[in-house]
Amino acid sequence: MDSKEHDKKISYSELEIGTIVSKQSYLLDRESVQKYILAVEDSTNSTVAESSNIAPPMSIAALSLRGVVNDLNIPGGTLHIGQELSFLKTVPVGMYLECEAVLSSNSVRGDFRFMVVDLSVRDDVKDHVMKGKSTIMLPVDISN
Amino acid sequence: MKEGDSITEVIKEITSEQILLYAEASGDFNPIHINTKFAEDSQFGRNIAHGMMIAASISESMSLTFGPSWHDSGKVKIRFRSPAYPGDTVTASGQIKKILPLLDEGTEIRCSVSVTNQAGEAIISGTSSVIITG
Repeated sequence: MDSKEHDKKISYSELEIGTIVSKQSYLLDRESVQKYILAVEDSTNSTVAESSNIAPPMSIAALSLRGVVNDLNIPGGTLHIGQELSFLKTVPVGMYLECEAVLSSNSVRGDFRFMVVDLSVRDDVKDHVMKGKSTIMLPVDISN
Repeated sequence: MKEGDSITEVIKEITSEQILLYAEASGDFNPIHINTKFAEDSQFGRNIAHGMMIAASISESMSLTFGPSWHDSGKVKIRFRSPAYPGDTVTASGQIKKILPLLDEGTEIRCSVSVTNQAGEAIISGTSSVIITG
Protein backbone atom coordinates (compact mmCIF):
# COMPACT_ATOMS: atom_id res chain seq x y z
CA MET A 1 0.00 0.00 0.00
CA ASP A 2 1.15 3.50 -0.77
CA SER A 3 1.87 5.13 2.59
CA LYS A 4 1.21 8.61 1.18
CA GLU A 5 -2.23 7.46 0.07
CA HIS A 6 -2.87 5.91 3.47
CA ASP A 7 -1.90 9.12 5.28
CA LYS A 8 -4.21 11.41 3.34
CA LYS A 9 -7.06 12.95 5.35
CA ILE A 10 -10.60 12.70 4.05
CA SER A 11 -13.48 14.71 5.41
CA TYR A 12 -16.21 12.11 5.12
CA SER A 13 -18.94 14.53 6.16
CA GLU A 14 -18.17 16.66 3.10
CA LEU A 15 -18.36 13.82 0.58
CA GLU A 16 -21.35 14.43 -1.65
CA ILE A 17 -23.66 11.89 -3.24
CA GLY A 18 -22.46 11.11 -6.74
CA THR A 19 -18.80 11.60 -5.94
CA ILE A 20 -16.54 9.11 -7.66
CA VAL A 21 -14.61 7.92 -4.63
CA SER A 22 -12.41 5.52 -6.53
CA LYS A 23 -11.53 4.76 -10.12
CA GLN A 24 -8.75 2.25 -10.64
CA SER A 25 -7.57 -0.14 -13.29
CA TYR A 26 -6.13 -3.51 -12.34
CA LEU A 27 -4.62 -6.41 -14.13
CA LEU A 28 -6.26 -9.56 -12.85
CA ASP A 29 -3.09 -11.57 -13.10
CA ARG A 30 -2.63 -15.23 -12.33
CA GLU A 31 -0.55 -14.53 -9.24
CA SER A 32 -3.22 -12.38 -7.59
CA VAL A 33 -5.96 -14.88 -8.46
CA GLN A 34 -3.88 -17.70 -6.99
CA LYS A 35 -3.32 -15.65 -3.84
CA TYR A 36 -7.06 -15.01 -3.56
CA ILE A 37 -7.94 -18.69 -4.03
CA LEU A 38 -5.40 -19.67 -1.38
CA ALA A 39 -6.80 -17.11 1.07
CA VAL A 40 -10.42 -18.22 0.75
CA GLU A 41 -9.60 -21.91 0.10
CA ASP A 42 -12.01 -21.93 -2.82
CA SER A 43 -12.48 -25.59 -3.78
CA THR A 44 -14.42 -24.75 -6.93
CA ASN A 45 -11.47 -22.88 -8.30
CA SER A 46 -8.65 -24.94 -6.88
CA THR A 47 -7.51 -25.78 -10.37
CA VAL A 48 -8.09 -22.38 -11.93
CA ALA A 49 -4.49 -21.39 -11.76
CA GLU A 50 -3.27 -24.52 -13.49
CA SER A 51 -5.89 -25.67 -15.93
CA SER A 52 -8.61 -23.09 -16.26
CA ASN A 53 -8.61 -19.44 -17.06
CA ILE A 54 -11.62 -18.23 -15.08
CA ALA A 55 -11.35 -15.97 -12.05
CA PRO A 56 -13.62 -16.61 -9.05
CA PRO A 57 -16.37 -13.98 -9.19
CA MET A 58 -15.72 -12.92 -5.62
CA SER A 59 -12.12 -12.15 -6.52
CA ILE A 60 -13.53 -9.44 -8.81
CA ALA A 61 -15.57 -8.10 -5.91
CA ALA A 62 -12.48 -8.06 -3.69
CA LEU A 63 -10.58 -6.19 -6.37
CA SER A 64 -13.31 -3.58 -6.72
CA LEU A 65 -13.35 -3.02 -2.96
CA ARG A 66 -9.57 -2.56 -2.88
CA GLY A 67 -9.87 0.83 -4.53
CA VAL A 68 -12.62 1.89 -2.13
CA VAL A 69 -10.60 0.90 0.93
CA ASN A 70 -7.48 2.65 -0.29
CA ASP A 71 -8.87 5.73 -2.05
CA LEU A 72 -11.39 6.47 0.70
CA ASN A 73 -8.61 5.86 3.23
CA ILE A 74 -11.07 3.82 5.28
CA PRO A 75 -10.05 4.24 8.93
CA GLY A 76 -9.49 1.37 11.35
CA GLY A 77 -12.71 0.65 13.17
CA THR A 78 -14.79 0.86 10.01
CA LEU A 79 -17.18 -2.06 9.61
CA HIS A 80 -18.51 -3.56 6.39
CA ILE A 81 -22.16 -4.24 7.18
CA GLY A 82 -23.81 -5.05 3.87
CA GLN A 83 -23.00 -6.10 0.34
CA GLU A 84 -24.91 -6.60 -2.88
CA LEU A 85 -23.24 -8.09 -5.95
CA SER A 86 -24.34 -8.98 -9.48
CA PHE A 87 -21.97 -11.03 -11.60
CA LEU A 88 -22.66 -10.24 -15.22
CA LYS A 89 -19.90 -11.82 -17.27
CA THR A 90 -17.28 -14.51 -16.79
CA VAL A 91 -13.84 -12.96 -16.32
CA PRO A 92 -10.73 -14.70 -17.57
CA VAL A 93 -7.45 -14.44 -15.72
CA GLY A 94 -5.22 -11.85 -17.37
CA MET A 95 -8.01 -9.35 -18.00
CA TYR A 96 -7.56 -5.65 -17.32
CA LEU A 97 -10.47 -4.41 -15.24
CA GLU A 98 -11.65 -0.89 -14.60
CA CYS A 99 -13.26 -0.50 -11.19
CA GLU A 100 -15.33 2.54 -10.27
CA ALA A 101 -16.99 3.37 -6.98
CA VAL A 102 -19.56 6.14 -6.58
CA LEU A 103 -20.94 7.38 -3.27
CA SER A 104 -24.72 6.86 -3.24
CA SER A 105 -25.54 7.58 0.41
CA ASN A 106 -23.78 9.34 3.30
CA SER A 107 -25.69 9.73 6.54
CA VAL A 108 -25.21 9.78 10.30
CA ARG A 109 -27.29 7.79 12.74
CA GLY A 110 -26.33 7.98 16.40
CA ASP A 111 -22.61 7.51 16.81
CA PHE A 112 -22.07 6.12 13.34
CA ARG A 113 -21.75 7.34 9.78
CA PHE A 114 -23.26 5.06 7.16
CA MET A 115 -21.88 5.26 3.65
CA VAL A 116 -23.16 3.35 0.64
CA VAL A 117 -20.90 2.99 -2.37
CA ASP A 118 -22.07 1.73 -5.78
CA LEU A 119 -19.47 -0.45 -7.45
CA SER A 120 -19.05 -1.18 -11.13
CA VAL A 121 -16.39 -3.20 -12.88
CA ARG A 122 -15.86 -3.22 -16.65
CA ASP A 123 -13.60 -5.40 -18.74
CA ASP A 124 -11.28 -4.31 -21.53
CA VAL A 125 -14.16 -4.05 -24.04
CA LYS A 126 -16.08 -1.86 -21.55
CA ASP A 127 -18.67 -4.52 -20.77
CA HIS A 128 -19.89 -4.58 -17.20
CA VAL A 129 -18.66 -7.75 -15.54
CA MET A 130 -19.89 -6.91 -12.05
CA LYS A 131 -22.03 -4.35 -10.27
CA GLY A 132 -22.50 -4.00 -6.56
CA LYS A 133 -23.35 -1.91 -3.57
CA SER A 134 -21.32 -1.80 -0.35
CA THR A 135 -22.54 -0.42 2.94
CA ILE A 136 -19.95 0.56 5.52
CA MET A 137 -20.28 1.99 9.01
CA LEU A 138 -17.69 4.35 10.50
CA PRO A 139 -17.60 5.73 14.04
CA VAL A 140 -18.58 9.41 13.78
CA ASP A 141 -15.68 10.51 15.97
CA ILE A 142 -13.19 9.37 13.35
CA SER A 143 -15.23 10.10 10.26
CA ASN A 144 -16.04 13.82 10.34
CA MET B 1 -33.69 -29.49 -8.34
CA LYS B 2 -36.80 -28.22 -6.55
CA GLU B 3 -37.95 -25.61 -4.07
CA GLY B 4 -36.89 -26.57 -0.56
CA ASP B 5 -33.70 -28.29 -1.69
CA SER B 6 -30.51 -27.33 0.11
CA ILE B 7 -27.55 -25.86 -1.72
CA THR B 8 -24.11 -27.37 -1.25
CA GLU B 9 -22.75 -26.75 2.23
CA VAL B 10 -19.26 -25.28 2.53
CA ILE B 11 -17.33 -25.49 5.81
CA LYS B 12 -14.21 -23.47 6.59
CA GLU B 13 -11.93 -23.08 9.57
CA ILE B 14 -10.80 -19.51 10.06
CA THR B 15 -7.18 -18.91 10.95
CA SER B 16 -5.06 -15.82 11.53
CA GLU B 17 -2.83 -16.94 8.68
CA GLN B 18 -5.79 -17.02 6.30
CA ILE B 19 -6.89 -13.55 7.42
CA LEU B 20 -3.42 -12.19 6.71
CA LEU B 21 -3.43 -13.91 3.32
CA TYR B 22 -6.81 -12.37 2.54
CA ALA B 23 -5.54 -8.93 3.58
CA GLU B 24 -2.69 -9.30 1.11
CA ALA B 25 -4.92 -10.68 -1.65
CA SER B 26 -7.59 -8.01 -1.23
CA GLY B 27 -5.43 -5.06 -0.21
CA ASP B 28 -7.65 -4.52 2.84
CA PHE B 29 -5.26 -3.97 5.75
CA ASN B 30 -7.81 -2.56 8.19
CA PRO B 31 -6.09 -3.06 11.58
CA ILE B 32 -9.22 -4.66 13.02
CA HIS B 33 -8.23 -7.70 10.94
CA ILE B 34 -4.47 -7.84 11.29
CA ASN B 35 -3.30 -5.72 14.23
CA THR B 36 -3.68 -7.59 17.52
CA LYS B 37 -3.28 -4.55 19.80
CA PHE B 38 -5.75 -2.47 17.80
CA ALA B 39 -8.28 -5.31 17.81
CA GLU B 40 -7.87 -5.92 21.55
CA ASP B 41 -8.85 -2.30 22.19
CA SER B 42 -11.85 -2.54 19.87
CA GLN B 43 -15.42 -3.58 20.64
CA PHE B 44 -14.56 -7.10 19.49
CA GLY B 45 -11.55 -7.63 21.78
CA ARG B 46 -9.61 -9.54 19.14
CA ASN B 47 -8.98 -9.71 15.41
CA ILE B 48 -11.92 -10.47 13.16
CA ALA B 49 -12.00 -11.94 9.66
CA HIS B 50 -12.83 -9.79 6.66
CA GLY B 51 -16.55 -10.03 5.90
CA MET B 52 -15.86 -10.61 2.23
CA MET B 53 -13.53 -13.49 3.07
CA ILE B 54 -16.43 -15.21 4.83
CA ALA B 55 -18.84 -14.20 2.07
CA ALA B 56 -16.61 -16.04 -0.41
CA SER B 57 -17.91 -19.30 1.05
CA ILE B 58 -21.44 -18.35 -0.10
CA SER B 59 -20.14 -17.76 -3.61
CA GLU B 60 -18.33 -21.10 -3.45
CA SER B 61 -21.52 -22.81 -2.33
CA MET B 62 -23.53 -21.25 -5.17
CA SER B 63 -20.82 -22.14 -7.69
CA LEU B 64 -20.68 -25.76 -6.47
CA THR B 65 -24.46 -26.02 -6.69
CA PHE B 66 -25.18 -24.20 -9.96
CA GLY B 67 -21.90 -24.36 -11.85
CA PRO B 68 -20.65 -21.75 -14.34
CA SER B 69 -24.03 -19.95 -14.44
CA TRP B 70 -23.04 -18.40 -11.11
CA HIS B 71 -20.14 -16.61 -12.82
CA ASP B 72 -22.25 -14.66 -15.30
CA SER B 73 -25.71 -14.43 -13.75
CA GLY B 74 -25.22 -14.74 -9.99
CA LYS B 75 -26.60 -12.17 -7.60
CA VAL B 76 -26.18 -11.96 -3.86
CA LYS B 77 -27.48 -9.57 -1.23
CA ILE B 78 -26.10 -10.09 2.24
CA ARG B 79 -25.77 -8.50 5.65
CA PHE B 80 -22.77 -9.04 7.86
CA ARG B 81 -24.46 -9.73 11.19
CA SER B 82 -21.60 -10.63 13.50
CA PRO B 83 -17.89 -11.19 13.12
CA ALA B 84 -16.01 -14.41 12.54
CA TYR B 85 -12.88 -14.85 14.63
CA PRO B 86 -9.71 -16.88 14.15
CA GLY B 87 -10.46 -20.36 15.44
CA ASP B 88 -14.08 -20.28 14.32
CA THR B 89 -15.53 -22.92 12.04
CA VAL B 90 -18.02 -21.35 9.68
CA THR B 91 -20.62 -23.07 7.53
CA ALA B 92 -22.18 -21.57 4.41
CA SER B 93 -25.54 -23.05 3.54
CA GLY B 94 -28.80 -22.18 1.91
CA GLN B 95 -32.06 -23.33 0.49
CA ILE B 96 -33.84 -22.94 -2.84
CA LYS B 97 -36.86 -20.76 -2.19
CA LYS B 98 -38.26 -20.11 -5.65
CA ILE B 99 -37.80 -21.54 -9.14
CA LEU B 100 -39.17 -19.10 -11.70
CA PRO B 101 -39.35 -19.80 -15.45
CA LEU B 102 -38.26 -16.73 -17.41
CA LEU B 103 -40.20 -15.37 -20.36
CA ASP B 104 -37.34 -15.45 -22.83
CA GLU B 105 -35.20 -18.39 -21.83
CA GLY B 106 -34.05 -20.22 -18.75
CA THR B 107 -35.00 -20.35 -15.13
CA GLU B 108 -34.24 -18.04 -12.25
CA ILE B 109 -33.47 -19.81 -9.01
CA ARG B 110 -33.77 -17.78 -5.82
CA CYS B 111 -32.19 -18.94 -2.59
CA SER B 112 -31.78 -17.96 1.01
CA VAL B 113 -28.16 -18.07 2.09
CA SER B 114 -26.34 -17.82 5.39
CA VAL B 115 -23.06 -18.39 7.13
CA THR B 116 -23.10 -19.55 10.75
CA ASN B 117 -20.36 -20.25 13.24
CA GLN B 118 -19.81 -23.39 15.31
CA ALA B 119 -22.31 -22.11 17.90
CA GLY B 120 -24.97 -21.68 15.23
CA GLU B 121 -24.80 -17.88 15.41
CA ALA B 122 -25.49 -16.02 12.17
CA ILE B 123 -22.38 -14.40 10.72
CA ILE B 124 -23.97 -13.53 7.36
CA SER B 125 -27.50 -13.84 6.09
CA GLY B 126 -29.15 -12.89 2.84
CA THR B 127 -30.45 -13.98 -0.52
CA SER B 128 -28.92 -15.06 -3.79
CA SER B 129 -30.12 -15.92 -7.26
CA VAL B 130 -28.85 -17.42 -10.46
CA ILE B 131 -30.23 -17.92 -13.96
CA ILE B 132 -29.92 -21.37 -15.47
CA THR B 133 -30.24 -21.67 -19.24
CA GLY B 134 -30.25 -24.62 -21.59
